Amino acid sequence: MTDTVAIDASADTRKWGKVLYVSTVVFLCAWVLVPIYFLLINTLSSPETVTSFPKPFWPEFDLASLTFFAGFDGMLSALKNSIIVAAMTMVMSIVIGAPAGYALSRFEFRGKGTFRLLILLTRAFPLPLLALPLAVLFIRTGLDDTAFGLALVHTTLAIPFSVLITFSLFSGIPIELEEAAWTLGCNRLTAFQKVVLPLILPGITASAIFAFVISWNEVFAAAVLTIENRTLTAFLLQNLNTSPLHLKFAGGFILVVPALIFIFAVRKYLFAMWGIANR
Amino acid sequence: MTLHSKLFGAASGLVVACTAFAAQADVLFWSTQAKPVEEAQAMRDQVLAGFADVVDYQPNDGGPWITRLEAELQAGEGSIGVLGALHGDFSAMNPDDLMDLDELGVSAASDTFNSLGMLGTDSVQYVPWMQASYIMAANVEALPYLPEGADINALSYDELIAWTANVHEAQGRPLFGFPAGPNGLAHRFFQGYLYPSYTDGVVRTFASDEAVGAWEAFRELWSHTNPASTNFNILQEQLLSGDAWIVFDHTSRLAQAFNDRPEDFVAFPAPAGPTGRGFMPVLAGVAIPRTAPDMEAAQALIAYMLEPETQLATLRATNFFPVVDVEFPDDLPPSVRAAGAAVATMSASPDANPGLLPAGLGARGGDFNRVFVDAFHRIVLANQDIRTVLDDQAETLAAIMEDTGAPCWAPDAPSEGACPVE
Repeated sequence: MTDTVAIDASADTRKWGKVLYVSTVVFLCAWVLVPIYFLLINTLSSPETVTSFPKPFWPEFDLASLTFFAGFDGMLSALKNSIIVAAMTMVMSIVIGAPAGYALSRFEFRGKGTFRLLILLTRAFPLPLLALPLAVLFIRTGLDDTAFGLALVHTTLAIPFSVLITFSLFSGIPIELEEAAWTLGCNRLTAFQKVVLPLILPGITASAIFAFVISWNEVFAAAVLTIENRTLTAFLLQNLNTSPLHLKFAGGFILVVPALIFIFAVRKYLFAMWGIANR
Repeated sequence: MTLHSKLFGAASGLVVACTAFAAQADVLFWSTQAKPVEEAQAMRDQVLAGFADVVDYQPNDGGPWITRLEAELQAGEGSIGVLGALHGDFSAMNPDDLMDLDELGVSAASDTFNSLGMLGTDSVQYVPWMQASYIMAANVEALPYLPEGADINALSYDELIAWTANVHEAQGRPLFGFPAGPNGLAHRFFQGYLYPSYTDGVVRTFASDEAVGAWEAFRELWSHTNPASTNFNILQEQLLSGDAWIVFDHTSRLAQAFNDRPEDFVAFPAPAGPTGRGFMPVLAGVAIPRTAPDMEAAQALIAYMLEPETQLATLRATNFFPVVDVEFPDDLPPSVRAAGAAVATMSASPDANPGLLPAGLGARGGDFNRVFVDAFHRIVLANQDIRTVLDDQAETLAAIMEDTGAPCWAPDAPSEGACPVE
């Protein structure tokens, strides 16, 4: 008697657990997807529909807002600059951040704690504060208005993340694996290359995505440090807040889509970082 | 000469030629105005395309605008050719950083504007470029609720409050819209409209008994105001969406409503209070920073911006009105006609009480605005005692005035030295 009650109760719990699980998943998906869907609908609507309420559920495929941006001077070169700067930021933050993460996880050295704190400190100062001296320096050194100069600044912003992410990745790989490789004829470098690197590659990619997104979204430094070679965010974002509503939606859509496509393309590496097997 | 040195010479020659070409071809127009994408596009296509050189028009937020400019000034070299900004932006700068423009020989039709452009020095620091003002606009559906005997072109604040109350009662929801959002221009309403209309001053009369009356009236108006107004920045959106039927805002922030649905909205002058119909102009100017790479091109561009045809093109592009005498053609967009008529009626009204933009505050202009916005938050949103709040804020205001030494501006009576808070 008591047994059947217990079984019923546990079946019940399991059922409710499943309901809770599914509804949480649905809620979280809606949390992300509904705003993007509304962004899409409003982008593809005429100005009248955008300001009306309630909103239609199906877009009416009015391309006027998007056509406006197609004819907006400098959009394509700004998009190109954004991609160049983001790519450079990705490469540089990995090239600099991953060795730092490796050193932090594998070696004991004086001032390690201070070093870790200092890396985080680069995020402690707001960019509007740093932008002025940076711009002065860049103008004097000729780095001003170049993709490389801006990528340097974005790399500085991205490095704390790439160091922290790679640090935890390296820490998750037992040193014994490397030691085993050394006993089997590898030196430090080849052991790293043949044993450690394949294991952490997905994580490295994930931290590269982080760097990409940070660079893609950064406005202030980009607006101050570039003039001819503006990135898309600097070019568009600060002009959108006072623009009419339908153009805000279309501009927002244009800013979101390339980043979404990029993240979608590399999504399996992101999943890998969170411990879900490649599928 | 070896092949290497020949190649090197050719390459460096090419580089020099390229940079020289680039410097000559582009004048960088660094602006805080005409920022919305449509206006920026119109500035490039319709206004600046007619200039002899290529102009790179870059509109920016205030932060990046001033930071980049400061950086170029500190570095002693730069790429900005011409600055376009509001009077308040220029007055926050050191006049030494701007080239004197007396020799250019271009100026606005208004002497008041021209003297504002001197920034307290003896020479022209910026040339007035374009002007706008703040007006009222209403949905035609609100017109039947006008109080009996009220003339929409000569409203008083009491009639406005009665009108918004009628609409509130009939529609069951408050439909006055006020730009009290984070990017809204509410402080200009207090400085240029409410205070002059009730106290005939801004600074001197800040904490007067009349000011208490003004805030009481505004509190009543707020009870018929859409409470979401604390999120409204640009009222054309709420006019179009129907969230507000009667609104106050900057002419260019109402333009889209008139251009999209000209039949549905009317523009009209700001209301009058016991001391007249207070209103305030908005003035934008053009200037040249001392680090401009090509002075001649920059000067030519400023002269071009002040030509009557360019001024009309600018009007179409930005809904800012010319500062020089022009003849208006008949085919202007609906927003320009509506706003132009409202501004003209406002300034020609017998009880007109025009105020000037705050002047002489330098970098403290933002703090000055803050005094009014804080008073609004405390009195209207937090419902604190008006007298207490005004006395508190008066101290802050007095400190700002003493700190900057700014003399009074209209409608305050002139002062010797810093404008006193009485």
